Amino acid sequence: MTECRRLVVPLCWLSLLLAATLGMGQLEGLFRVIEPDSRQVIYDRAGFLTLLGRHLSVVGVAAVLAILIGVGAAIAVTRERGRDFLPLVSQLASMGQTFPPVAVLALAVPVLGFGTLPIIVALLLYGLLPIVRNTLAGILGIEASVREAARGMGMSSGQILRQVELPLAAPVILAGIRTSVTINIATAAIGATVGASNLGDPIISGIVNGNTAYVIQGALLIGLLAISVDSLFSRLPSPGGR
Amino acid sequence: MIDLIHVTKHFGDAVAVDDISLSVARGELCVLVGTSGCGKSTTLRMINRLIEHSEGEIHIDGQQIREFREESLRRRMGYAIQSTGLFPHWTVARNIGLVPRLLKWPAARIQARVEELMALLGLDLEEFADKYPHQLSGGQAQRVGVARALAADPDILLMDEPFGALDPLTREGLQEELRELQGRLEKTIVFVTHDMDEALRLADHLVVMHQGRIKQQGRPLELLREPADAFVESLLGGEGRGLKEAALLPVSQRMLPLGPRLLARERIGQQASLREALSLMLWRHAERLTVVDDDDLPVGELSLRRLVGVRSDD
Repeated sequence: MTECRRLVVPLCWLSLLLAATLGMGQLEGLFRVIEPDSRQVIYDRAGFLTLLGRHLSVVGVAAVLAILIGVGAAIAVTRERGRDFLPLVSQLASMGQTFPPVAVLALAVPVLGFGTLPIIVALLLYGLLPIVRNTLAGILGIEASVREAARGMGMSSGQILRQVELPLAAPVILAGIRTSVTINIATAAIGATVGASNLGDPIISGIVNGNTAYVIQGALLIGLLAISVDSLFSRLPSPGGR
Repeated sequence: MIDLIHVTKHFGDAVAVDDISLSVARGELCVLVGTSGCGKSTTLRMINRLIEHSEGEIHIDGQQIREFREESLRRRMGYAIQSTGLFPHWTVARNIGLVPRLLKWPAARIQARVEELMALLGLDLEEFADKYPHQLSGGQAQRVGVARALAADPDILLMDEPFGALDPLTREGLQEELRELQGRLEKTIVFVTHDMDEALRLADHLVVMHQGRIKQQGRPLELLREPADAFVESLLGGEGRGLKEAALLPVSQRMLPLGPRLLARERIGQQASLREALSLMLWRHAERLTVVDDDDLPVGELSLRRLVGVRSDD
């Protein structure tokens, strides 16, 4: 019962997102008011559902990679053997964040060509910092006495990682993933500038053609997607039963 | 049971533990005492290899500790520390069952063992089994910590200032319980503390450490009577040693059989310490006490002269 109730808010946002995606055509009248001079007021070069799907898969792939790399790197540098690399990794991750995604795109296109690949690379780099930073904070924030007791009781380092460190750090790590994914849902839109087709398409095309209605449609769907995903994350059960 | 033979530990150029030799017999409660930084905790942690010793040998039951796998060595020794180190995301019952689970005991046996230990340490099963560590008081958490250390029924228990963070009342209660448990379970315990009263109260074998070396070791009364040097003497309380010794001796040791005289009004149990007897005399302005047994029946009497150890009572 309470399980269901936790999901009410995210489900509301999700259904709103789906309704907007499928029913954008029904709002033609409204967009006509905003953009009375254009011949076409509903973006139609690709279906909104298709764009949504592509958007999600780009962000999803980038997120999975960022989680694997980010959490992996943070775990590696908090092991005894990797300690020396701790400052380096946290610095690299913050540099990834300061580097604007557009610049990454500009640099990546000549190497990787147009399409989806450069935007995945840009999102991956951009999304790494919150994940690395939070995983580090989560693991390093565990009380020294807990780790000492775990070792003293005869747990192996793998057991300590799986049974103690990761569960205790999980809420902080999840918060990092949440930030990373939410930011990247918005950032992915710039992928449209290098030929990656996603919900950024209507926005870019709207800007190029001076069609505000397109811009609003893209922005509306991206906004709803970001809110839905964020609200889903906030409802994830936190392990540990606190 | 535990033998340290010329053990030294360097951290870089610094010598933390300097050529110490120590034997702890089976069933003995050995207390390492000293000021902070004297190497007592390092010594303890070398026994379960949380710190590797640099030189010398450490034996458990005649076998070098380096011959064991680190994890299996630690699983056969209980380990309790000041800050308890309970896992905050696990319930009390799960925390206690940690080592048995690592040893892959069947679930039913772990469950039974956890219940047994909770009863042993006076933790009500219904009330505490499903609580999380942050819901416990300091004393309760430390009980859970001790229960966890005892879980796999290890022969050896290593305790690093386990009662250091507790209020005096709780601490004394737990010290008493530890002595009592020790008598019943016959564990070999190595106990680290900087609190001399605690050390004297608990120890069978008292080891005074200073700057990485053992200054003196022996039975508490021996050390009180014949401190090796001025440092040990001052650590043991200097002029206050008389009272510390009195705290270790029971009234029954100095009392005389009931004489023809009238019974003194003030009474004291025969298991009470001479210190308590002295305190009662001071408090009540009494020169004589009647010593009673557990059923409050007079069994002897204690005069101030006898208490302070004047040989004849004339």
